[in-house]
Amino acid sequence: MLILGIDTATKVCTVSLLRDNEPVAEYEINAGMTHSEGLLPQIGQIFERTKIAKKDIDLIAISIGPGSFTGLRIGLATSEAMAYSWQIPVCGVDTMKAMAYNLPVDDIILAPVLDAQKGNYYLALYEWQNGELTEHQKVTVVSREELLTRLSEFAKPVMLLGECAKLAQESLPPLVKLAPWQVRMPKASSVALLGLEEYNNGQRKDIFELNLHYIRRSEAEELWEKRQKKV
Amino acid sequence: MVKKDIYILGIESSCDETAAAVVKNGREVLSNIISSQVPIHRKFGGVVPEIASRKHIENVLPVIDEALKQANVGINDIDGIAVTYGPGLVGALLVGLSAGKALAFALDKPLLGVNHLEGHVFANFLVDGELEPPFMALVVSGGHTALMKVKDYNNFELLGQTRDDAAGEAFDKIARVMGLQYPGGPEIELLAKDGNPMAIDFPRALLDQSYDFSFSGLKSAVINYLHTEKQAGREINRADVAASFQAAIVDVLVKKSVHALKASGLKKIVLAGGVSANKTLQAELAAAVEAIGVTLVHPKPVLCTDNAVMIACRGYYKFLNNEFSGMDLNADPALKLG
Ligand SMILES: [Zn+2]
Repeated sequence: MLILGIDTATKVCTVSLLRDNEPVAEYEINAGMTHSEGLLPQIGQIFERTKIAKKDIDLIAISIGPGSFTGLRIGLATSEAMAYSWQIPVCGVDTMKAMAYNLPVDDIILAPVLDAQKGNYYLALYEWQNGELTEHQKVTVVSREELLTRLSEFAKPVMLLGECAKLAQESLPPLVKLAPWQVRMPKASSVALLGLEEYNNGQRKDIFELNLHYIRRSEAEELWEKRQKKV
Repeated sequence: MVKKDIYILGIESSCDETAAAVVKNGREVLSNIISSQVPIHRKFGGVVPEIASRKHIENVLPVIDEALKQANVGINDIDGIAVTYGPGLVGALLVGLSAGKALAFALDKPLLGVNHLEGHVFANFLVDGELEPPFMALVVSGGHTALMKVKDYNNFELLGQTRDDAAGEAFDKIARVMGLQYPGGPEIELLAKDGNPMAIDFPRALLDQSYDFSFSGLKSAVINYLHTEKQAGREINRADVAASFQAAIVDVLVKKSVHALKASGLKKIVLAGGVSANKTLQAELAAAVEAIGVTLVHPKPVLCTDNAVMIACRGYYKFLNNEFSGMDLNADPALKLG
């Protein structure tokens, strides 16, 4: 089974090709280039270099958020249109959960965070135990203070993943560390692995039913609702 | 050898309509699917970019699928994918563009990046089967007001454009000031029906011999008028205001068009863009150009507003000209005409 994994939720544009559980290719760009310009050429080069025919892909796994709204939409529109053309399934996986697949090590609290704008963060908490991933906290939007308080509640090592570099500019709680940069940001191979697993577990959705995990509503809607409440 | 038919799939998502269409040989519409978001944006008084983008991503594949089904054409039988890459709202454009590029990539078909405004002009080829360049085009929409010479199918010369507000933008702003619903153009037109277009003498910026337009002075004049009358406690005849405002815009558009037609010697002019649906504009322009021996072509109402038929039609002529886009094509929110 050939799986194409894609993640465009952050400024990293990452694409990977797996044959079952084995990596065939992974191509990651973190150079400030827009995903719109880079994503398809990147996918094209993977096919060129691996000599695998596009139409042999069996499944597309796409990271569906949270993350940059525009980045997520570029990834999803691209994945859906390819899956529609090749008549194959597409599996949407949670960006936070996929990051936890970057570091499958037991007894560490994994804390993927992403920038939620205006000083807020998306935060989720996971832990691996004997090859099983447990979710300690569903993704939520927190301020920096709330995030640090939450992380200092654990009596074991906590590793920050994702867009966490800014958090480390000030001192972190004693047991909290940044994950090494090699595994810190989203990886398309993790997206592909998680996608394959979810697909095999029967979590299958029609292309037309896939939607993004925005978590937050648009600013205009939030303002409008606030105004309605005042009246 | 029998000449093969060319099928182009068009995709459009530059503002608040998600649209897809299949057009055969550039002129025959096989399907025209439009998912409009107008009701969703109404409560905000205008298009909210983030909400528009969210609706586009939900609708883009279903709309494409429906366009192919209604046209009874398989995705593999499509010869080229035409998609709008600007101008428009960047987040909105990126949804249709990403889908269009990915289809072209996955199916190994040519990608045809289309300028939305050129698309509006090309909507006229679907009304008049005989229409052929060269001709003049007056583009009037929410974001643009421009006069352009269409020299041939792939060669345009911009003569002039707005220096400030677009005509459609002025309509929307005045409608908002007058408490009318979004979108403002059709509302003003409706109200103007019962008004006297000569009741109030609003200014017409003709900017001498230039083909450029300016509507910000007119907009301020209308707002000032409403304000002054209200301060003075006088009752405002809303229908007269709408009719006089509309007359001022139409007057400028018609005068500039006639001026450009006389100078160029062209015998045909086409109207394009959302405001081209305005009946007063159509009638006044038709009468004025007829007087100098020029014929006016304007799209049917369904092709005046944003649609993907016009994008597919524009794409068809790029296809014939081997003008293909690369997979690195990016959205250009400020893409220019000409
Ligand atoms: Zn338009």
